[in-house]
Amino acid sequence: MNPLTLANAGIVYIVCAVVVLYVFILCIIYLRHGLQRAKELGISRETIRSTIRSSAGFSIAPSIPIILALMAMMGVLGIPFPWMRLSIIGSFQYELMTANIGASAMGVSQLGSSQMTPQVLSNAFWVMTLGIPWGMLLAIFTMRKFSTGLDKARKKDATKLTLIITALYFGMLSVFVGPPLVQGGLPLYTLLVSAAMFLLLNALAKKSKIGWLSDYVFTFSMLGGMVFSVLFSL
Amino acid sequence: MKDIHSLGVKSLTGMLVLMISAPLVISLYFNIFPPVGPFLSGFLQAAMIYLPIAVAEYFTFVPILGPGGSYLAFVTGNLTNLKIPAAVVAMDQAGVKSGTEEGAVIAQISVAISSMVTILVVLIGMLLILPLQPLLSSPVLAPAFENILPALFGALGAHFFSQHRKLAVVPLLSTMILAATVIYVFKLNFQSIQGVLIPVLGLISVASALYFYRIGWIKKEDIE
Repeated sequence: MNPLTLANAGIVYIVCAVVVLYVFILCIIYLRHGLQRAKELGISRETIRSTIRSSAGFSIAPSIPIILALMAMMGVLGIPFPWMRLSIIGSFQYELMTANIGASAMGVSQLGSSQMTPQVLSNAFWVMTLGIPWGMLLAIFTMRKFSTGLDKARKKDATKLTLIITALYFGMLSVFVGPPLVQGGLPLYTLLVSAAMFLLLNALAKKSKIGWLSDYVFTFSMLGGMVFSVLFSL
Repeated sequence: MKDIHSLGVKSLTGMLVLMISAPLVISLYFNIFPPVGPFLSGFLQAAMIYLPIAVAEYFTFVPILGPGGSYLAFVTGNLTNLKIPAAVVAMDQAGVKSGTEEGAVIAQISVAISSMVTILVVLIGMLLILPLQPLLSSPVLAPAFENILPALFGALGAHFFSQHRKLAVVPLLSTMILAATVIYVFKLNFQSIQGVLIPVLGLISVASALYFYRIGWIKKEDIE
């Protein structure tokens, strides 16, 4: 059988759809649990609404490159399996790299080459599945302890914990802000345009009485940067 | 189910079983199992790369998101480009801090909403993949997607770095020196090692922040 016919078979769609559906239901359960906890903690409805609006608006644009990743993978791994993998745990680089590792372990130099057989495809699927579940395993076995430890640290010295968490986050921000600054060119201009748009829109949202604007300041700034990069390249 | 950890352990165990049953059902149905040798070799290669990254990411991201958001984020993935920024922005707007109970609840709601949006967007993309392909892969739009991270982190950096300038100095300068070395001396693609660098820069950033706090250059009011 042609490996691509196999990869796009109905059964593969069904199996993958079940996994994605499970994850979607999990999201609903966690959302309801979170809303319930928010109520108990006395967090206002307006704050919750603003959280939902801002998170939803913010997540649309960065999700589109995932579709592009799917387009890049479907020629060699079919549509349903990469769709499932990209909808859950994996990110594009991880998935493509593990799929390649799976293929090369079978002696196939490149995914999608004429040496592809159903067995190579199956090895790629297995390696993609079992190669990356580490975050989940760690969470299952250590999260309760780790999170209790963090709570204790907060009770001991809340300022210090906030400092450590902010510093961790700043480390991550730097990894993405630093390179365009030394690399220059379009990534740098995009970074600067989006930063400038943020400062402008944020000031506007604070001054004006447009309540919803502040929920979308990040989204609009990000989109502004993206639109700029298209116009700049025309 | 009130206890987030009991929900977390149950839902993630279920996820692992389902996730593994996907290739299992496919292999059984078509009767194609990979030979043991190549599978083990591929598995070990993948594990050698991702296990250390996952451990480091785990200790970086759990303190930021709190337990509820973390459990779900480790199932839905895309942490650096979606879940963490969405949750941090939501906590910032709500005026709550990472590491507090309120912060964890806001992060949990944010991760759930963000994951649902991504699943729906990718589902629409999958269903419409043929008509969408010429549009999304057109050379005109390519720069927008190639530069989505600078567009995203430009806004985030402008906001958070200007809020706590003193905390930004060391990690930002360290990354710039590192990036310059990687790009101009080793001529490597920086993006390929970005994931590995997040925990490394996290450590540098925490160590410097604690030092500045101890010598009194960063004070309590600087982070509140």
